Amino acid sequence: MNSAITLAVTALCYLIAAVLLGANLTLRKNGWLWAGRGVAALGATAHMVAIGLRCAELRQAPFTTPAESLSLLAWIVALAYLGVEICWRLSATGTFALGAAFLLITLGGLLPAQGRVSDPALLGENAVSLHILATVGAIAAFVLAFACAALYLAAHRILKSKHGLTWIKRLPPLATVEQASFALVAVGFPLLTLGIASGWLRAMAGNGLPDGWQWDSKTLLSYGVWLVYAVYLWARLRAGWTPARTAYILLFGLAVCLLTLLVPSAAHRFS
Amino acid sequence: MSYPVTTAPNVSVQMVGLSHNTSAPVAVRERIAFTAPGAMEAAARFLAGRRAETGAEFVLLSTCNRTELYLSDAGGEWDTEAVTSLLFALHEVATDAPAHETARLAGAYLQERRGHRAVEQLFRIAAGLDSMILGETDITRQIKDAYALAVDAGTTGAVLNTVFHESLRVGKRARTETDLGRGAFSVGHAAADLAQSIHGSLKNKTVLVLGAGAMSETTARHLSAAGASTILVANRTYDKAVLLAESLNGRAINYEHFPAQLALADVVVASTASPIPVVTRAMVASVVKERGNRPLYLIDIALPRDIETGVGDLDGVYLFDLDHLQQMVESEAAERRQKAAHAETIVREEAISCAMRLRTMQVAAPLVTRVRARQTAIVQQELSALRKRGDFSPEQWQLIERFATAVENKLAHAPTERIKEYATFADEDLTRRKLRTVRELFDLEDAEETVAAEAKP
Repeated sequence: MNSAITLAVTALCYLIAAVLLGANLTLRKNGWLWAGRGVAALGATAHMVAIGLRCAELRQAPFTTPAESLSLLAWIVALAYLGVEICWRLSATGTFALGAAFLLITLGGLLPAQGRVSDPALLGENAVSLHILATVGAIAAFVLAFACAALYLAAHRILKSKHGLTWIKRLPPLATVEQASFALVAVGFPLLTLGIASGWLRAMAGNGLPDGWQWDSKTLLSYGVWLVYAVYLWARLRAGWTPARTAYILLFGLAVCLLTLLVPSAAHRFS
Repeated sequence: MSYPVTTAPNVSVQMVGLSHNTSAPVAVRERIAFTAPGAMEAAARFLAGRRAETGAEFVLLSTCNRTELYLSDAGGEWDTEAVTSLLFALHEVATDAPAHETARLAGAYLQERRGHRAVEQLFRIAAGLDSMILGETDITRQIKDAYALAVDAGTTGAVLNTVFHESLRVGKRARTETDLGRGAFSVGHAAADLAQSIHGSLKNKTVLVLGAGAMSETTARHLSAAGASTILVANRTYDKAVLLAESLNGRAINYEHFPAQLALADVVVASTASPIPVVTRAMVASVVKERGNRPLYLIDIALPRDIETGVGDLDGVYLFDLDHLQQMVESEAAERRQKAAHAETIVREEAISCAMRLRTMQVAAPLVTRVRARQTAIVQQELSALRKRGDFSPEQWQLIERFATAVENKLAHAPTERIKEYATFADEDLTRRKLRTVRELFDLEDAEETVAAEAKP
């Protein structure tokens, strides 16, 4: 079995789990919930094997192309969902998180397999690995925080408007999703800070980066992402904003994150 | 050759009684209910005596909405008058109300069910399909209690044991497969459900109850049952607050101090008799910032309302009044009504299946036993003759015996299956004719018990 086949199986598992968890959200069938959780865990395990096989095939860290980086991000998102499921039983977030994981893998498959970084010395640098892993971990946490914020706003609207009250029982408790979104940002923000700092230090050391990396679009946007989540933490912890208002920051934050991820960059050759 | 479809075989189970579904008004239901202390026990003792006399099995089910007597008699069906007379006599023994008076009062509302219809009636009750509030779960406990009392008094036998055990299983199945038992059944229940939708677990959550009336108490009890750990009660009459707080394992607070508690409370239940709102927008607005990210859930179940409507517009505050909660109860009731059709199908199929098993147990089993006994006797006779004629080693004899048993079992299989099939025919006459043919084929004498079992519907 090679990594491509295993990755295809993984993507299928994520898609099935997302559908099952979505069906449970609307129809409230315990069997589908447990099946969704099981298939998600199976997908994450298969993904770990796929990434391991890819490492073995390349004899390098598994982020030599944008597709590999997206696959790594999808895996961390799936793991983050499983963590959220274990800590708060927020199965509803799985629909979004695993759907996103499926799309990331699919997107990676559609991208042209070019721009491979084949410099083992570069990928072997601790600063680069730390930069990539911390940033990917932060984005995964923000994806889940986005799902929690969306669920919060859906429940908040129903409770305020009193329309569709029978739907409220299908959604996770308001206070729980709010706590979960804060906890995820509390984990993701330091990781993002670490990712930016390690990338910055590595860039300061030179070694092959183009001139003007300070003004690279991805670099600049990553500061924007950092600022958005810093504002969220400030608003929630210090300014006394209500959870409904801070939830909108999390929705905006992921949009900026995705823009950062997808924007072309000369200084970032891994994704 | 094809035989009639075995949809609803007759079984010797009967039910007589009344309920809200037989249009019996509450005045009649409360008169015939066995709710007085010791009434059910007295009835069980009386039924134990009747069981000793007649050999019939009895279970009395009496709740606030129904009184039903289930019986099964292997000796044959009881006619309507006999069953209703027993119910009235039972009521007289248990409550001292004259039987003729009970008959006059309740006679017009009685319903009778026989065979698989009686089984289906019990299954419907167990699934909550016969309840005033569709799908309610309290009936399961009531059936268990009634059955346990009957078992203790020794008034049950193989048939009603099977039917009551099955009813609990079928009730659970119908609820699980259709989610019939889900949702809010009352305003208090809906209020507690919403509290969990907002706060999640109510453990370590504080409920502030304003007013010590019946509505406050019911809602607070639902919240307490949902896990609320701290309950504070404020009432203008402090003594009433103390009484309610004690019954809820909570704490009474001075009514004048309740605004200060709004900053600490997670759920507020307001049901005072005040003609003007007691919780104002300014009062809640002043604590919103102090509360930080903790949502505040306010339940206003007073008429006129106790909480200013503008309170619901504040950030982090969720206000629900009686109309909102009632709307929620009605929407969920409508959902349950949709699910009830599926539950009815499950119950109907299970009742027929149970009736078939009972019919097999009552009719087929005795005849199968006789057929097998006849075959075993022939085999043993032939083995005995063979042993006398030949000199076999122990190993050879063991082999012969094993061979004989195998042939006996194989030969018995088809007749056994056919007898079971014949027993479950809806057409009684056909069942009787087929089983007579079986007896003739196997040269069985018409033993009394077999004939009696087959003759009885």
